[in-house]
Amino acid sequence: MADTEFLVAHGLRKAFGPFQAVDSVSFTISQREIFGLLGPNGAGKTTVIRMMSTVLKPDDGHISIGGFSVTADSDSVRKLIGVCPQELALYPELSATDNLVFFGRMAGLNGRQARESARENLERVGLQDRARDRVEQFSGGMKRRVNIAIALMSRPQLLFLDEPTVGIDPQSRNHIFETVENLRDEGMTVLYTTHYMEEADRLCDRLAIMDHGSIIGLGTPRELKSEIGNPDRVTLEDVFLEYTGRRLRD
Amino acid sequence: MALSLHIAILELKRYLSNRGELAFSVALPIVLFGLTYAVFGGGVSFHATANIVDLDGGPAARELVRRLDALDTITVRERTLESAESALDRSAILAAFVIPEGFSEALESGESVSLTFKRRGNGGEEGQIVAGIVRSVAQEVGRQGRVRRLAMSALEGSGVPPALIDEWTAPLIADSWDNPPVGVDVQYLEGEESNLLYRVVPGILVMFLMFTITLGSQTLVEERRLGTLERLMTTRLTAAQLFLGKFSAHVLRGSVQSLVLLVPAFAVLRVGGLAEFVQIALICVLVAASVSGLAMAITSLVRTRDQASWSAVFITMFMTIFGGTFFDVGDGLLEVLSRFTLNRYAIESMVGILERGQNLGDMGVELGVQAGVGVCAVVLAAALFRTSEGRG
Repeated sequence: MADTEFLVAHGLRKAFGPFQAVDSVSFTISQREIFGLLGPNGAGKTTVIRMMSTVLKPDDGHISIGGFSVTADSDSVRKLIGVCPQELALYPELSATDNLVFFGRMAGLNGRQARESARENLERVGLQDRARDRVEQFSGGMKRRVNIAIALMSRPQLLFLDEPTVGIDPQSRNHIFETVENLRDEGMTVLYTTHYMEEADRLCDRLAIMDHGSIIGLGTPRELKSEIGNPDRVTLEDVFLEYTGRRLRD
Repeated sequence: MALSLHIAILELKRYLSNRGELAFSVALPIVLFGLTYAVFGGGVSFHATANIVDLDGGPAARELVRRLDALDTITVRERTLESAESALDRSAILAAFVIPEGFSEALESGESVSLTFKRRGNGGEEGQIVAGIVRSVAQEVGRQGRVRRLAMSALEGSGVPPALIDEWTAPLIADSWDNPPVGVDVQYLEGEESNLLYRVVPGILVMFLMFTITLGSQTLVEERRLGTLERLMTTRLTAAQLFLGKFSAHVLRGSVQSLVLLVPAFAVLRVGGLAEFVQIALICVLVAASVSGLAMAITSLVRTRDQASWSAVFITMFMTIFGGTFFDVGDGLLEVLSRFTLNRYAIESMVGILERGQNLGDMGVELGVQAGVGVCAVVLAAALFRTSEGRG
């Protein structure tokens, strides 16, 4: 893992009316690192990603990606990032290839590059045989994989994956794990949010646990486990429940 | 610009892949046109086919056929005698006119000659009207032959060659045909249109173009629903490029939709010639642009599909009802309200071209208002979007 800080977030705050969605969030992500954001529903994970991906402006704080300020130089930041949102963001009436080529063009690729990148990324997510089929005919897991492939079209240096495995079958989930691991091996930096502790344990080099808009734990999975007991016996789920409490959430 | 083009192409691809929308915007105009054609019977003027059998083939017979074919109200279909009789037997036609052999020679020599009117039953209402028209034209041809013959007779022995006599009489005969000594002036009652189609066709065109508002007002709402708008906002696409792309797609779609109506309106209803067609088509493109601008303004303001639908329906209904889409707004409150509708300016300019023989150069105010609304609406839409989404 390289030491260069590729993403720096400092003192991020974002409120929606009276609701403080994100409060004083600070962390860094090094190049070629898979950084996990763990937290219960409503913890503020997606809001953090939306601010980092130039969709939302923070009320306060600063984010830089690859040395560019997200607020002051968002155009440069957009050239470095790929975003896979939590909800599917696809055109269902178009084929998988058409979806990928379109977003490739939006990322600045020319026609040949976009078609080539679409072919590569559909192969990467195991959908090369369904390239010409309409996305609306796909299963939930296949749509999730197309959702990820679109995020990879711009050949980003930093990939945001916002709960990419929600509601899909074990086979598709495993395929996504392998895809993310391959991306890390190829040198991509990833910010990954999830509910699933085994995913975080398997994939993430470092983790931040968020609750009520704030980071309440930060470190490698082993470091976080060590804080509450023997890291060889404690699970990340134990850590999570220790930090966020066992009370049921809405 | 390239990104805008891809947005426009995407929009059109999605539109073409949606059969329901495609049917709505292409098939329904054709259905409506068909109903219009049925109601107005292909126009308010009489038009019929004259089935002619020319057994003579001489100059007078050919002149009779030529003159019949030149009439706006008649299309000549020449048949053989066998074909005409067979069609009559099968009731495929109800009447046919036979020019007998020796027709031209008889006229030349001053003998009486008759056309034969073959008919099935009473020949039908259309056949009887055509018979009257054929009789009138045949008598005119006969009278002109007689004038020529009298001139020849009067100048016989004077040494004037017959060719010179023909040269003198031909222009006089042509002039009497073009400028008959007795004409009929048509006067329309006050307030009555000379041709109802001159208002109906623009009305239908503009009404369908108004539906662009309904379809276009959904565009950003739909992108939000799919989650693709947020994804687009993380790419290199700017708000201006997004709006230009979507605006262009809606203008193109509206223009194609109006062409679907415009072509049969001119080809079948014959509301004008090529020059009028081109000018009306250009006005349609302008109207498509102005209503697309309004659609973009709506879609920037609203957050749900219902909000988009109701806003679009309200604006469309307001402009259709108060814009005098199918009637003259006259004076009073309606005339005042119509000034706030695009329909008034669009229809005024189309009616001016079709009915009053004006051209685009005479429509400065009407065209200016439409262009101004389109430009202002798109600029406003992009500004609203930037403000609401915090996007440059």
